[in-house]
Amino acid sequence: MDTESLVKKAKKGDKNALVKLIMDKKQDYYKIAYVYMKNSEDTMDAMEDMIVVLYQNIHKLKKEKAFYSWSKKILVNCCKNLLRKNNKVVLLENTKEEAYEENFHSKETGIILEEHLSKLNEKHREVIKLRYYLDMDYKTISQVLKIPTGTVKSRISNGLKKLKVSLGGENL
Amino acid sequence: MREIEELLKNNKEKIDNLVLPDELEDRLRGALENQEKKSKSNNKWIFKVASILILIILISYNFDTLAYFSKKITGFDPVMNSTLKELNEIGKGQVIGKSFTFENGISVTLDAVMVDDNQLLLFYTEKFDEGNIGENGIESIMSIDGFMGTLHEKGGQGIMNDEKTEMKWIISFDAPKFFQKEFKWEFGIVEGGKTKRGEITFTLDRSKAMGCTLKSRINKSVKLNDRKIKFDSIQASETSTVIKGSIQNIFQLALDQVSDNRIRPESLELKLIANGKELQWQGKGMSTNFDGIKFDYEFEPLPKHLDDLKIKVIGLIADYDEDKIVDIVVGDNIKTINIQDQNIIINKVYESDKETFVTITTEDHVVLSRIFLMIDGKKVELQNTISNNNEKKRDGVITHTRTLKFVGTGEKLELKIERIKYKKTVNEVIDIPVK
Repeated sequence: MDTESLVKKAKKGDKNALVKLIMDKKQDYYKIAYVYMKNSEDTMDAMEDMIVVLYQNIHKLKKEKAFYSWSKKILVNCCKNLLRKNNKVVLLENTKEEAYEENFHSKETGIILEEHLSKLNEKHREVIKLRYYLDMDYKTISQVLKIPTGTVKSRISNGLKKLKVSLGGENL
Repeated sequence: MREIEELLKNNKEKIDNLVLPDELEDRLRGALENQEKKSKSNNKWIFKVASILILIILISYNFDTLAYFSKKITGFDPVMNSTLKELNEIGKGQVIGKSFTFENGISVTLDAVMVDDNQLLLFYTEKFDEGNIGENGIESIMSIDGFMGTLHEKGGQGIMNDEKTEMKWIISFDAPKFFQKEFKWEFGIVEGGKTKRGEITFTLDRSKAMGCTLKSRINKSVKLNDRKIKFDSIQASETSTVIKGSIQNIFQLALDQVSDNRIRPESLELKLIANGKELQWQGKGMSTNFDGIKFDYEFEPLPKHLDDLKIKVIGLIADYDEDKIVDIVVGDNIKTINIQDQNIIINKVYESDKETFVTITTEDHVVLSRIFLMIDGKKVELQNTISNNNEKKRDGVITHTRTLKFVGTGEKLELKIERIKYKKTVNEVIDIPVK
């Protein structure tokens, strides 16, 4: 069944249709929430909050086609609310050993970069992650965060500059 | 700057390689479980005085003398299945042809209705010459208020014209009670965040109602572990065939709550076979309330000449409460445990300086839907599941191997399994006597 028909069903209160809409793109939703929440349990909490909000408000969605962009906006808001509610400073994750062999050097750099990212201000960190970790284009980021495309561009470029300064800049 | 972008891209790989937890779908369903759409209370009639009721019945049954004979529903062919087309050909639909227009120009026309003992079908058209009807159609929260109760919507389908200015819908509602004749169909559109309501009233022509072609109590059960799937009734009409049943009664449900031994059925797989041919299913539902767990299954109508009718019960996917603690130690080929007849092989337990990993193999339909690791007596929740791998064995069994990751390490390790979800295969056949 195509997205539009599923959205119509969901609008009629069909819970299975709503779950299917989310599960069809589960990877996308999970990744977005994970970038904010940084662990699986909180990511699923945010997705639970999102689906409840969707269920209660889907009748307000005029364009069936816009379901995915609309729901992702809601997911980002749910993540931010949860972070606020838990009053959590999202700390750098502890270094994790992966179950598979991995290039040690690149892992090291990755962690260092993550550490410097966490020092940036929230606005800059958020756009950089959406752009580089989730491959979103400027337009999508502007829709998700409800800010103009120009602002997205300037935040990314300022964020990258700050990141460069933070990393010491000499060898980058 | 390019190097930083490269670094960021490297970090992206970690996000790309995230493995989604098995229980995600369950969690989403669980979150919706207790959500109710706000709907209007419809019991306000119940408290009216009986004498008024009798008066209304007397008036309404002598009031409607319109003749609807031989009119056919037109314009709905693309939305109708072959059964409905045939029924329409022989004049089983009741043409209504009443409209309601909202201030913004959207018009809704109730073209026709069709009724039998299983459902009331509403045929309606939405029109909007100023814009896209698909984006501006009526809100789906619809109800039909009748005397002594509301008919709830069950689902439906619609087709839009190429210009996107008109949409034809067929929506199914509960079947009306035999004494219900006067109805008010309510619907709404959302404009600027506000809902504007519209309504169309109609009177059912009872001479058009098709009743049912087969109604029979089944009263047979299929055993499933220590529970029963009970098939209560089958009711076939001109438009559909509905099988109703329950998975446990209220007494069992209460007992389960007390003994912490609940079952959360997810889906029941059934086939309905008429004259040796499998009928297409059109919908199914399952609900848990104070009467226990009830299910209804809807199939296409039965063939005209019926010699033989069977329900084939394939199996039930459900989530069960469990309370099992399994000792494990770091190493390979740890042990195989059996929970509710499901084998869970613990292949390997290993740790890093901060985490403990447990690799398990089960059949692919088995999910440990709530699992913890007790580390030196402390309960640690599952952080995520990594490296999924499905394998098809020679005997056709598909196995699923994955690694569970827990934060923390310790001397004494125990897996604590609190819920398990699996498909119980039944493969039993129930014969339904055909008169």
